[in-house]
Amino acid sequence: MGAKVPRNFRLLEELEKGEKGLGAEACSYGLTEGDDLLMSNWNGTILGPPHSVHENRIYSLTMHCGAEYPDKPPTIKFQNQINLPCVNPKNGVVDPSKLPCLSDWKYSNTMETILIELRRYMAHPNHKKLPQPAEGSTY
Amino acid sequence: MAALPKRIIKETERLAKEPVPGINAVPHEDNLRYFDVSIHGPQTSPYEGGIFKLELFLPDDYPMTPPKIRFLTKIYHPNIDKLGRICLDVLKSNWSPALQIRTILLSIQALLGAPNPDDPLAPDVAKRWKEDQEGAIATAKEWTRTHAMT
Repeated sequence: MGAKVPRNFRLLEELEKGEKGLGAEACSYGLTEGDDLLMSNWNGTILGPPHSVHENRIYSLTMHCGAEYPDKPPTIKFQNQINLPCVNPKNGVVDPSKLPCLSDWKYSNTMETILIELRRYMAHPNHKKLPQPAEGSTY
Repeated sequence: MAALPKRIIKETERLAKEPVPGINAVPHEDNLRYFDVSIHGPQTSPYEGGIFKLELFLPDDYPMTPPKIRFLTKIYHPNIDKLGRICLDVLKSNWSPALQIRTILLSIQALLGAPNPDDPLAPDVAKRWKEDQEGAIATAKEWTRTHAMT
C-alpha cells in the first residue's frame, strides 16, 4: 500500500473526475456549494436503469462527507421519493447496513462507487418492478 | 504504510532546521506526507499582515510528480479559485524533481506578491483585477482582514 491520500485531496480528485465527466454516464455528482472549502455537501444524480420501473426517471440525492471520509462512508439521502428496501420511506435516507458498498466500506470506494451500486440495486430483479411513487415527488 | 523516502525525510528536517522566513510547514504525525502550511502575506501586497493556511500532500510518485497543495484560508486572488486551488506553472507543466517543498512554497508566496490576471483560475476575480485594479486590491485587503487575521 502506498501513501494515504488525505480527505481533502481525495475529495478534490473526486470533484475533478465528476467535473470532467470521466465517470459513468448514468451517474453524476458535484459540490452543492462551489465555494465550500470543507467540501462536505455533494449532490448526485442517477439516471434510472433501463428495463425497470425507474427507466427515464432522474433521481437526485444528497451526499454528506464528514471529517472522517473516506475512512468512513458518506451519508446518502434521496431527494426524489423512491420505493427501495435500502431507502427509508419516511425521509429518503439510505440504510448503510443494506447496501454492501456502505456496510463493507473500503477506503478505495468513492461517491461514484455508491451511485453506481445504487443504480445496480434499482435494476436488481427483486427491485426493478417495485411500485414507485409519482414521478417528481420529493421527501 | 511504506517507509518514507529519504528525500522526504531530508526535506522535512531542513524545513524544521532552516525555516524559510514567513513560511511554516509541519507534517501530520499520522501522515508524514501531509503538511500543515502557513504563509505570511508578502509586505506591500494586499495580503500583508495575513497568515494564510494551506495543506500540502506529497503523492506516492513525488518527486516525479509535484506536491498537491491548496489554500484553506479564503483568499481573493486571480490565480486561486474558490476551493483554494492554485494556478501556478511550477505545480503543473513546469514541475521538476529538482524543485522542493520549500521552493514551491516560496513560489506561492511570490504569487501572492505578483497576481497574474492574464493566467487566471478565478475568471471573475481576474476580470475585476484588469478592469478595476484598485477595487480588486481593496477587496483582497478586506478578505485578508476578515479571513487571514483571526
